[in-house]
Amino acid sequence: MNQILTIARKEIADGLRDSRSVVASVAYALMGPVVVGLVSMTVHGKTGSEAVLTGMMAIFTLVSAFVGGMNVAMDTVAGERERKSLLPLLMNAVPRTSIVLGKWLAVSFFAIGGLAINVLGFLLVFKNAGMSVTASSAELFSGVFGLFTLPFLAAAIQLCISTISRGVKEAQTYLSLVTFVPMGMGMFLVFCPAARRAWCSFMPVVGQQLQLEALMSRGRVSFLEPVVLGYLTLAVSVVVLLLAANRLKQDEIIYGN
Amino acid sequence: MIKTHNLSKSFQGRQVVRGLSFEAPDGAITGLLGANGAGKTTTLRMICGVLQADSGSVAVDGASDARERQQRVGALLDHIGLYSRLTVRENMAYFGRLRGMSTEILQERIEHLIGVLGLDAIADRRTAGFSQGERMKTALGRALLHSPTNVVLDEPTNGLDIPTIRSLRDLLRRLRDAGTCVVFSSHVLDEVHALCDRVAVVAEGKIVAQGSPQELCTRAGTASLEDAFIELTCPAEVY
Repeated sequence: MNQILTIARKEIADGLRDSRSVVASVAYALMGPVVVGLVSMTVHGKTGSEAVLTGMMAIFTLVSAFVGGMNVAMDTVAGERERKSLLPLLMNAVPRTSIVLGKWLAVSFFAIGGLAINVLGFLLVFKNAGMSVTASSAELFSGVFGLFTLPFLAAAIQLCISTISRGVKEAQTYLSLVTFVPMGMGMFLVFCPAARRAWCSFMPVVGQQLQLEALMSRGRVSFLEPVVLGYLTLAVSVVVLLLAANRLKQDEIIYGN
Repeated sequence: MIKTHNLSKSFQGRQVVRGLSFEAPDGAITGLLGANGAGKTTTLRMICGVLQADSGSVAVDGASDARERQQRVGALLDHIGLYSRLTVRENMAYFGRLRGMSTEILQERIEHLIGVLGLDAIADRRTAGFSQGERMKTALGRALLHSPTNVVLDEPTNGLDIPTIRSLRDLLRRLRDAGTCVVFSSHVLDEVHALCDRVAVVAEGKIVAQGSPQELCTRAGTASLEDAFIELTCPAEVY
């Protein structure tokens, strides 16, 4: 456990010193609230505008969970390979699963940061637009739990992709494509609501989108659904992390091709 | 002491190491001498527990488990990547903590190595933009932090200037005199001759001869180590 925390602390300190990357992540996180705030002023009072706005908010929020830790995920494995610092790290008596877990915690830290900034931004937009949430404390708590498991999944997927990539550029290409997953799914559900099924509420990414929409449009969310969704999201994260750890055990990670 | 027995490793269908056996005793500098692509780096990576051998065994101070070996070895392999946003001290401290060193011992060792390696002036500078010599010294400090009883170096003098090579050689001799088992790979014969007590000659993934430089010359019937190396590794091309 100490080794995992040592790796996580180092990666967080290292990531925070990369000021350009931090500024880019914050800018991405605030982009949604700024865009939706501007759009809300334009469409204020028009019929059906709320549905579009809540749909847009949900999409931006999901994307922020994927963007917050993207640069760190790229740097922490693919970047280490490129800079040839991964081999010295692997020479320490640290299980590779611990290396992956430490790096995952660090990427999750930045992903949660991105999501939190985004949510705070949207709360301000909410307040300015005069919208309110009527959910109980328990419902809000479960909603927040369901939503904040998403950065952990995003971090796991990004880390896994980073272990497959040979360098930062390659990782950046793949990870940029990954951010289209929540965007694409979200837009599909906004423009094709008939495609929604009951099981969608339990599918990571899609489930979070539906719950965010429910919270923002109806002001309420069920208590149980986000909790189950949260645990399912974490379970998928664990599976993806195991894949990343397995990749780190292969010879190719050292030979570089 | 480092001992390998019948070590083999293939990569993508190509056999890189074939039944390689050698022994590096404590209190001696053992050189792994071989041409490019002979299998030196792969062998050292297996000793350091980074790669797993297809067959054969490696023992470091009697320990064959990869994690136990890693605890006993301090290595500077061909990849000496440092964390460019961390200072020299921070780079060293990170690896020390990963090795489970206590804060007091870690601080003491960092200060000691900074002094020994002459890193005082740059100890609190981030490593971005360091020269090759500064990078190598920092990486060496990182490798020696836990006072390993075995030190493994892969072509450590590549790209270094003469003063840095000299100070590295002095350091390796001091480690040897303190009873450390030092193994280093090289294809530079002068370096091997100047530094090594024992030499293991590697060709096509296996050891073709081992002993002191003088023993190798006697065995090959040559006057110089260079001629002995050629004779032992590719006699058909010479005659």
